[in-house]
Amino acid sequence: MLTAETLPRHELVGLHVRVADSSDPTLVGCEGTVVSETTNTLLLSAGSRSVRVPKAVATFEFRLDAECSEDASEYVVVEGERLVARPARRTERTGDSRWQ
Amino acid sequence: MTSIAEERIDRLHTLARRAVADGDEERSREYVRLARRIAERNRCGLPRQFKRFTCDRCDVYLRPGRNARVRTQDGHVVVTCDCGTHERYPYRDGG
Repeated sequence: MLTAETLPRHELVGLHVRVADSSDPTLVGCEGTVVSETTNTLLLSAGSRSVRVPKAVATFEFRLDAECSEDASEYVVVEGERLVARPARRTERTGDSRWQ
Repeated sequence: MTSIAEERIDRLHTLARRAVADGDEERSREYVRLARRIAERNRCGLPRQFKRFTCDRCDVYLRPGRNARVRTQDGHVVVTCDCGTHERYPYRDGG
């Protein structure tokens, strides 16, 4: 199940995300669907626009869809620092859940 | 209980399928490659449908009628990707 606990280890592509905080003020408030992930960045797409956001300097607010939880829209805030890893490698880490 | 790895593969499967329907084959390749990598790292294998409907050579997700041809021949099914690669798997009568 994709829950708040498992989100940092789960698939981020396809989730709706908003940049809640960042050391780069131009990125704060960006939102869209994650379409691609690299070690250090997430590629968000909203309509015709797409933004590549560095993970390390941002705090992300992911929206879990209704199919994934009882609440229609549950929001999970994750520090980007915790997502810095190769996409396939993130799943392998365990016991480091410090979700907010 | 299904592991996170298996769930991720499942999600990527759906995403890759949708990407092809939207005409974005390069994106579907990215998802297929990531799913394969996850299966490899976590030693959990891939679902049969995933194996049969992804191209071994160009990694694209295969949607019959869109970027793949499916023909049955004597005892086996042949799925041909637009890149020219054939994928064969057997079928049983009434099976």
